[in-house]
Amino acid sequence: MLNITKAIENDNAVFSLEGRLDTITAPQLEEAIKSAVSDLSRLTLDFEKLEYISSAGLRVLLMAQKRMGQQGEMKVVHVSDTIQEIFEVTGFSDILTIE
Amino acid sequence: MKKEKLRGSIILQVAILFALGVLVTGLLTYFTQQELSGQSVKRQTELYASQISDEVERSVTEYPAWEWLFHYWYTHADAMDIDYDEEFTADSMTAGKCRLLSQRHPNLSLEYARAEELEQLPEEDQKLYAEITYSWLITRLNEIKQACHVDFLFCVVTEEPYDTQFFLFSAADPGAVRGTEYEEVYPLGHVVTVGESQQNAMRSARENHSYLTDAGNYMDYYASFCEINGHTVLIGMTYNLTDLRASMTAQSRTNTVFAILNQIGLSLICLTLIFMFVLHPLKAVQENIRLYRDTKDSREITKNLALVRPHNEIGQLSEDVTDLAREIDSYLSRIETITAERERVNIELNMATQIQNSMLPNVFPPFPDQGEFDIYATMDPAREVGGDFYDFFLIDEDHLCMVMADVSGKGIPAALFMMASKIILSSNAKMGKSPAQVLTDTNNAICANNPQEMFVTVWMGILELSTGKLTAANAGHEYPVVKHPGEPYQLLKDKHGLVIGGMEGIHYKDYELQLQPGTKLFLYTDGVPEATDAENRLFGTDRMLEALNRSPDADPVEVLGNVRKSVDAFVLEAEQFDDLTMMCIQYHGREKG
Repeated sequence: MLNITKAIENDNAVFSLEGRLDTITAPQLEEAIKSAVSDLSRLTLDFEKLEYISSAGLRVLLMAQKRMGQQGEMKVVHVSDTIQEIFEVTGFSDILTIE
Repeated sequence: MKKEKLRGSIILQVAILFALGVLVTGLLTYFTQQELSGQSVKRQTELYASQISDEVERSVTEYPAWEWLFHYWYTHADAMDIDYDEEFTADSMTAGKCRLLSQRHPNLSLEYARAEELEQLPEEDQKLYAEITYSWLITRLNEIKQACHVDFLFCVVTEEPYDTQFFLFSAADPGAVRGTEYEEVYPLGHVVTVGESQQNAMRSARENHSYLTDAGNYMDYYASFCEINGHTVLIGMTYNLTDLRASMTAQSRTNTVFAILNQIGLSLICLTLIFMFVLHPLKAVQENIRLYRDTKDSREITKNLALVRPHNEIGQLSEDVTDLAREIDSYLSRIETITAERERVNIELNMATQIQNSMLPNVFPPFPDQGEFDIYATMDPAREVGGDFYDFFLIDEDHLCMVMADVSGKGIPAALFMMASKIILSSNAKMGKSPAQVLTDTNNAICANNPQEMFVTVWMGILELSTGKLTAANAGHEYPVVKHPGEPYQLLKDKHGLVIGGMEGIHYKDYELQLQPGTKLFLYTDGVPEATDAENRLFGTDRMLEALNRSPDADPVEVLGNVRKSVDAFVLEAEQFDDLTMMCIQYHGREKG
């Protein structure tokens, strides 16, 4: 189960994620980001209520990071310790802007 | 053919409804007829009675001195010498009295005498006149009674509280007996005491001019005539309705029988029509539905149902059933195609599984001549094929390369990506590069052509068998677990680079670890720590280390078995969601070999 709450203001978007970002739900986020990304210069992903992220979820983050890296910036906020550890293990902490 | 249970027939159900309808209609008809005829009898009787009463009044008021006469009769009733019910012949007593009176008073007109003239007469002649007119009047009333078939016709004098009737005159049929006994015709001056119902009837007649009482087979009618000296004169009549009522009842019954027969006839016509236009075609449709159920042959029932096409809902139903059968047929054939397709995919997947399994080193012990180490590994994909893989091979006599990797995603896409990754990694490693260089080169090779943006986490280590020196690099993979002799299993928090395929141009770094004889290294994919139970709790690295440390002396085969058992006990019924891959190596050192 994944709930994505989108707040888009001009070229600035905040996506708040709630639940699990895994093989089943990752396409949901991928679709949400792909449909919005072309008009954005800033994308913020709020992970405050995200419980779990799998490699499929990481793939979507990577895709988003690559796209946003070309046209603006992307950051990930409110990352829990569990997910921070996953980012560190996979090396994602080196390429993502985490606040 | 399955025997169908009889669930009652529409004809029977409708017939029962009709029968109930006929019953209700019959009863309603009968009671309505009765009620209507009763009311009609009452209305007719009242009208008829008032006409008779008018006729009586006219007969009386023909005499100009009628009021004087009423008074005289009432006050001299006992003295009157009356010849009742007389036939008026020349010899009759009244004729004699007429002649006598005419001789004495030649100027007196008997029919048109006025009260003032009569007052002038001597007492004896007044009596004569009263007797003559009384006889005339009673004869006239007798005629009216006979003409009108009234049972009783009379005139009474009464007064508050209306408990007595003074009979002024009472009409009789020819031959009737005059007297005061029951069933005799009362003479002038007879007084009877009456009951409450008669009292009420007379009072009502006095107040409302007339009144009709309905006493079953009899009807009493009273009409107020006039007042004399504070007394009320009423004209009364009694009808015997026994015969009339009997004929009315007979008529009601006949009408009811006709109504019922009419209903039954209509019902039979309805039932026949229902049978012809509804049940018969419906049965044909039903039989064909059953035929289709048993044969699944839509052509047969299409042919049969084409004959059942009345221009109504049944025809529509027949058409719909035909369409439905055709659709089921095409659906079935589609399912067959899909099933065949799935079968083919399954066979292919099975082959893919076998190919993938054969790609991984799966003969243990793999190097029977090499005594420096024991190694064991398993891969258990969540689906037929997986994205996890392990690999190990000797680069040369002294160097063992080990790989543990996990491709993002699962299933066929992950498996294809895994094959490519495995081949690139092993080719690079076999060129004698350090693990970090292998990862760097592999990353660049994969990033160059990765439109799907897939990635793979890789841990690669190269062990120098003669010295126990391990050189390793980590591209976003889980922390390895190390157990040095005399120490517990613990996570090796090594340096991590980004996953392979994530971004081009990443430089990975090597790190070194000295293995003692007896040191064990446990490698795994995230399927182990992220195994999930029914409540979405993760197995976690803590539980994994706990399971490892429970049997510190286990050999590689046992180590993998222990971890697997522990994961299974944690997950229980929950479906295995991720690939589960583990590898364990125990270093013995060269002197042992």
